[in-house]
Amino acid sequence: MDSITAFLSNIVENTDAKPSEGSGPSAKPGSVPRAQSLSSHDFPLMPVGQACDMGHAPDGTPLIDSRIFNSFEFFRNPYPYYRIMRDHYPVFFDKLHNCYYVTRYDDITTCYFDDEGFNTIPKGSSSGVLGNTQLELSGVEHRRRRNLYGQHLVGKSLDNRLHAIEAIGEEMIADWGNLDESIVQDRNGVRTVAIGKAFANEFPIRVVCDVLGFPKESRKKFFYWYNSMMSGLGGSETHHQGLEARQDLEDYVGTLVEERRAHPTYLYDAAGDPIGKDIISKLCETQIDGDYLSTEEITSNIALVVGGGGETTRGAILNMWYLLLQHPRQLDAVLADPETMWDVAFHETLRHSTPIGGQPRHNSFDIELHGVKIPAGSLVNMVDFSANHDDRIFKDPETFNIFRPDLYSGKLLRSGYRKEGKCSHMAFGVGPHLCPGAWISHQEAVIGSKILQRHLKNPRLNVDKMPKDFDGSLLPIGLISAREVWIDYDLN
Amino acid sequence: MSTTETIRATAGTGKPQDAAAPKVTYGRNGVPITPGGLKGDGFRTYEVHQRERLGQSTAKIKPMQLISPEFIRDPYPLLEILRENYPSYRDWLENAYWITRYDDVTSIFTDDANFETRPRRWFYNIADYGRDLRLELPVLFAQAEAIDDNAQPAAEQIVGDIRAKGSANLGIDFAARFALELLVRQLDLPKEDAPLFCERYWRMTHGFNTDPVAEQDGLAAIRELTAYFRPLLARRRAEPGEDLISAVAGLDLDGGPATAEDLVITLLEGDHETLHGGLANTLFLLLTHPDQFQKVKDERRMAKFAFLEALRHSAPVLAARRFARHEVERFGKLIPGGGMIICSAGAANRDPRQYKEPEKFIVGRKDLCQREPRGQYRADGLPAGIAFGLGKPSKHPAVPEDRPRSLYAITRDTATTALNVLIDGLPGLRLKPGARPELRSLKLWDTHTCWDLPVDFDH
Repeated sequence: MDSITAFLSNIVENTDAKPSEGSGPSAKPGSVPRAQSLSSHDFPLMPVGQACDMGHAPDGTPLIDSRIFNSFEFFRNPYPYYRIMRDHYPVFFDKLHNCYYVTRYDDITTCYFDDEGFNTIPKGSSSGVLGNTQLELSGVEHRRRRNLYGQHLVGKSLDNRLHAIEAIGEEMIADWGNLDESIVQDRNGVRTVAIGKAFANEFPIRVVCDVLGFPKESRKKFFYWYNSMMSGLGGSETHHQGLEARQDLEDYVGTLVEERRAHPTYLYDAAGDPIGKDIISKLCETQIDGDYLSTEEITSNIALVVGGGGETTRGAILNMWYLLLQHPRQLDAVLADPETMWDVAFHETLRHSTPIGGQPRHNSFDIELHGVKIPAGSLVNMVDFSANHDDRIFKDPETFNIFRPDLYSGKLLRSGYRKEGKCSHMAFGVGPHLCPGAWISHQEAVIGSKILQRHLKNPRLNVDKMPKDFDGSLLPIGLISAREVWIDYDLN
Repeated sequence: MSTTETIRATAGTGKPQDAAAPKVTYGRNGVPITPGGLKGDGFRTYEVHQRERLGQSTAKIKPMQLISPEFIRDPYPLLEILRENYPSYRDWLENAYWITRYDDVTSIFTDDANFETRPRRWFYNIADYGRDLRLELPVLFAQAEAIDDNAQPAAEQIVGDIRAKGSANLGIDFAARFALELLVRQLDLPKEDAPLFCERYWRMTHGFNTDPVAEQDGLAAIRELTAYFRPLLARRRAEPGEDLISAVAGLDLDGGPATAEDLVITLLEGDHETLHGGLANTLFLLLTHPDQFQKVKDERRMAKFAFLEALRHSAPVLAARRFARHEVERFGKLIPGGGMIICSAGAANRDPRQYKEPEKFIVGRKDLCQREPRGQYRADGLPAGIAFGLGKPSKHPAVPEDRPRSLYAITRDTATTALNVLIDGLPGLRLKPGARPELRSLKLWDTHTCWDLPVDFDH
């Protein structure tokens, strides 16, 4: 009799929002529901490298449920899902997050070079925390700003400052004896150290502080600003804190700029001769389009240099040690030949587990890519994570292997990513927006690691203190860099 | 005053107004320098964006809450936070802007020059599958006539069935069935095809949201319906009747005669959620507010007002999406071209700036415009509930005389007819003892309505 609605009973049963239990006809006024779980859908935790079942199309193609991107499963084990996207949805339209993902290496590099078709016009990718930066500019506007300080981060002016980087590292390690029990513990001639808290977290920031020309005494504050700003990116839950930190930084820089406009400060080489003005002093006297930079702009540039130079390098150092310590044969090879192998290990680390997952772009025109029509102005995410694990480019991409023959590990250039028949990783991007800090970050990670190597005798991972996965094994790096790496080493 | 407060207080003026402002010094370029920085000076590509930077901080809500199961069940507490604190909320997770105040939402709905609607087939990524023929005059007429002819008999048949059965879940057995029954009658489908058609139609109209399995189901349903309609369309073209399919079959447009694909897309873009959800929500509200129900029973002309007030109080379609055609500044934010705006009818319909005690369900409330929106949402100085897009007004100097009534009027009258038939046919209608009905969506962005409304009546 009632057969035209018979199918509905099944649909009403099979739902995401089950009837609430014991609630009256309408919810209590003023009661605010709290987000209970990370995702609106519980995805099972899978063995690393395997994707959970999200359903299949009639032809057997696995489906991607957009809610996976909010889940813990995806944070710890993203690569099998990116593989599905590369193989079946090279351009994936995510309706839940209103964006597109481009996941293949070749597509991403093409888009990165196409500065006009894929712009970076401010849609607030840093959500106001970093402010207006050249991240969000294109063409000549972008190039001018980038060149302001890009020169400090490469070439001879950087080579002349390597001694300062080294000194900062040595200074930090010399202080280890005075650190808290929660960071450094000595037992029976073995020292256990959390190299994140003791070294990697702060080392890159101190280096950046130095290159920028921040006074030494401001380091502590600077570290706080940095942490707040980084955790407040992308409209996250700590967004507000990030914005206030940014405002504090801007106030501080305001005073500093006033000083530096009158009395510029300089950076010196190992012999004590001035190389040139530090970045802040340089920015103070720079004109663009006939106008001096405002404090606000200078702050944004500083925030960007700090944001770019802190978290990434920190992640690179921690990931590199975490991965090498889990592959002792490769660690031995690196320790045996530090002059060349740290460079190689650095690049393989960034390919295998890059700290920055990708860059947002917006297509300037309506386009069709792999059969998907993308209206102008859409958010198109270039997933560097996925490019680095594209088996069209890198054989057996999930394996960490510093000896791999298909990865280019020389110096990265804006103009190219294919050298000597090999491809570079995408951790720094490519094209006009290639990370200007690629070289300094490389130097920091390698110099930092060489210093660590000098001090850590017979280093090994302290497995007990490392966070574990659900099955008791070591937690994979996943989408976020290793938060901490505990190392045991012999004191004598 | 902290720095943050200073910025808030002076936002928009570009100058700190603190009385104890520190002495001003001048930089080399002659620009005043204060310890607070050079606010409003120098090169700025997007000054608005900058000025609003601190205003963008939205500590009272987390974007994750807006896709949580709690929100899917009952969105109103969170919508209130948005409306009262962040009238233009930048949702970084969904990459969208939420607009929640009545005047703001209606200003976007009426601004076709700056904001576009994307059809459901765009969300399915089959934008070129077929044409939407809903606005062709023969189709409009056929639809209006079929609904007018069938509303009363369809409702009577359903009420008769409920009487025979002795009990019912009005959410499904009446509201959902009435909307589907009416559709089947509009299309004049053979009786034996109706159940399968309804199931496919439901899958098709509920698959374009975020669930990928539902999307596959929906796409499959679209293909199945196309295959089903192809021979039927040919038959109706040869022997036309009064129904919607015949009207579509008779169309000969610039792009060629109408095809089965066009018919399916026309059905996809059409909407039965307002009729189904609106009826279910009206019944839910009446049954849980006996005093208001009594008003309707006492004075039958109130049935229409009950339906309109239910659409205001508990909108079945909670939000509509619009996309900026180009970069526009709205509500203090710079919305980039292509940016998505979620216009929340649910929040706007409970805006205390428009309605006194908006949380209350009051049949015949004095501050709700009961007239059909014609090109604007207000008439007689009163706001109308937002439940329908403006659509084409039925009576307007620019519209030809021979145009059928608007969908707004048709839906409203149909629902009123159905309500009256139900109240007459089931005397003593009341909730089943112990029943605790509630409104909820089954999935994110789906109809917010009552799925479980068990009732008793006098036999």
